[in-house]
Amino acid sequence: MPPFARPQEPTVSLVKTPVEGTCPRCGADDLRRYPVNSEGGWFEVVKCQSCLHSVSRERWHLLGSLQLLSDTI
Amino acid sequence: MSDTEFTQRYGTDRFTASVITNRLHYVVEHMSTGFLREAFSPIIRDWYDFACTISGPPEQDYPMSVVSNSLVVFLGTMGDAVRNTVIEYGPENLRPGDVLIGNDPYRTGTHVNDVLFIYPVFRDDTIVSFVNIRAHQLDMGGTVPGGFSGTKNNKYEEGLTIPPVLLYRQGEPVRSTFSLIFDNSRFGDILLPDFKSIYQQLHLGARLIGENIDRYGSGAFLGTLQYAVDTSAERMREAIGRIPDGDYVGTGLVDADGLDETEEFRIKVTLIKRGENIEAELSGTSRQARTSINASMLDSKTAVGVAITMLLAPETPFTSGTWRNIDMACPPGSLLNCMPPEGASMMFWEITTTLVTAVFDALNPVLGERAVAGDYGSLNLHNATGVLDDGTPWATAAQCGGEHGPWGATSDGDGDSYTVLFMLNNLDPATEAIEHDVPVVLLRKEAATDTAGAGFHRGGAATLRDSLWLTDASAYSSPFRTKIPSGLGANGGDTGRLGAVWIFPAETANIRERGKLIPHSPEVYADTVPVGGMLDARTKELDPDGRYFYFASQPSWDTKAGAMFRYLTNGGGGWGTPFERDPERVLRDVRDGYVSVEGAARDYGVVVLGDPENDPEGITVDTAATRSLRA
Repeated sequence: MPPFARPQEPTVSLVKTPVEGTCPRCGADDLRRYPVNSEGGWFEVVKCQSCLHSVSRERWHLLGSLQLLSDTI
Repeated sequence: MSDTEFTQRYGTDRFTASVITNRLHYVVEHMSTGFLREAFSPIIRDWYDFACTISGPPEQDYPMSVVSNSLVVFLGTMGDAVRNTVIEYGPENLRPGDVLIGNDPYRTGTHVNDVLFIYPVFRDDTIVSFVNIRAHQLDMGGTVPGGFSGTKNNKYEEGLTIPPVLLYRQGEPVRSTFSLIFDNSRFGDILLPDFKSIYQQLHLGARLIGENIDRYGSGAFLGTLQYAVDTSAERMREAIGRIPDGDYVGTGLVDADGLDETEEFRIKVTLIKRGENIEAELSGTSRQARTSINASMLDSKTAVGVAITMLLAPETPFTSGTWRNIDMACPPGSLLNCMPPEGASMMFWEITTTLVTAVFDALNPVLGERAVAGDYGSLNLHNATGVLDDGTPWATAAQCGGEHGPWGATSDGDGDSYTVLFMLNNLDPATEAIEHDVPVVLLRKEAATDTAGAGFHRGGAATLRDSLWLTDASAYSSPFRTKIPSGLGANGGDTGRLGAVWIFPAETANIRERGKLIPHSPEVYADTVPVGGMLDARTKELDPDGRYFYFASQPSWDTKAGAMFRYLTNGGGGWGTPFERDPERVLRDVRDGYVSVEGAARDYGVVVLGDPENDPEGITVDTAATRSLRA
């Protein structure tokens, strides 16, 4: 598996990428895309940061950020 | 949901679904009983370091529907572990009689010693479920015998990593897989009979499932697998919905990793609660540690599920449905979502236990009377090796340290003393078995006075444990949480006291000449060797504002025959206002040694008269003085 370097900063934060649009449930304009782990494993979600409504919820990589060298065979 | 809707969704009626669910619980407990009875490994036999589960088929997305009453860190991870392992191997490649295994922490959680065994159950050439066992193996290779160490620098030092691979193919052992494991393990002769027993328990589970399908039909069986997880999900959703919306922040601290004491490791969790959903945002947590104290995402997910269940819906069955309304949001490279090769995880539970504390810290303020106080927070593992006079090597793991300690108090009553971490749920090895196998005398394991967090309900008392070693020994000691109390108070209760670890060298302990136990009092520690904890630099007694002594300041703690280790765990937190505790309950605590006369006055405002040491039944409460003190 490819090496994952230890982060340089003492603490780490999840990158939540802004997404255009408004929440269909509450109308807020703070949608973000990021991976989550829940029932069923990893998903890439677009969620409203105001009310937590999932605008989209797509299956992500089986093992999250972990990539196996075997996957390149 | 009407009865008709229920039957349409689950293929059976409510009553039958409940009956099948209970019968499946019987299946996993029957498997567990069989394995416990047959196991040779002491970590299975004496510690219950295994778990059994039943998962649904691929078409249902592998729901973990039923779990045994056993190790929580396994139960929480096995749902995802089974799914990940089967998907990577390919469910289409499985045949009746196959046993699929794996142990990679990044794929399946926990650490490499915990091997997952998956047995697909077929009906009419179709997989209808999986019966699974995860069991800790005594040794999987790596740099440290037995594996337990917080000093490993990367995954290569941890031990053998097993990707999804068959151990049995259509009922026949796969010799190459057995050899792969046995050729890398120091204790293959113990693993072999336990593997055979595991195989038989998987067979038993599959047979009992088959009997259920024969009796109730495949439709009812498969519907029940879904019903079981939906039940958990519904209860959790309703429980989450009952707390106010908000962003709740909690923290926890791990003293150091196994490299040096220059870096502390902080956990931060923000529980973003909206309606029926929670997002557990773990940003702000420390980067992954330099040595093997990290946790994988699945381990962190387990901790959050356990903590929220305990706080909000403790009666809820633990299934994969627990997380339906909980999203874990954590970056890779975090202490709570470690990545290979540097993010080693041998001591993962120390981190996830701290995450449980952080969730309690976050939610307790909003829960009021439903708040739960914290536990002792660290397994305080003691692992040691040596040689008997005749040259026979000996080893001990997780038997003689501070592995057992107190829980915090709740609205229901006082916290238990001498029990297990919230995150584990294991057995306490019998003293007789330990002393039979290891050259040690367990001199003491008792509740330590004035260590429990005071409260209307008192926390559990810290465990004071003395072990006298009869040969020279080399030990690893792992008290990870001695800087900040883990026994958080709840609903106005006080925190539990901090613990520590000391070595009394042979000439200091001098147990045979002394002829009695060494008391736990400030004057006895000056000539000890501190192993870990916040202590006065000169007297070596407990001092929360003193100097931090680092548990891995030496490669190993080497002692001569006659030396004594003393472990004092953290105390459990109290619940409710201490000065409102019934004075008669305080009196009983003084009589039983949980609280001193001085502590009763200081922490509870209760004045106790008499001599609890020499006349415990003669002590009384000075009612007038107590009323005055509490005014």
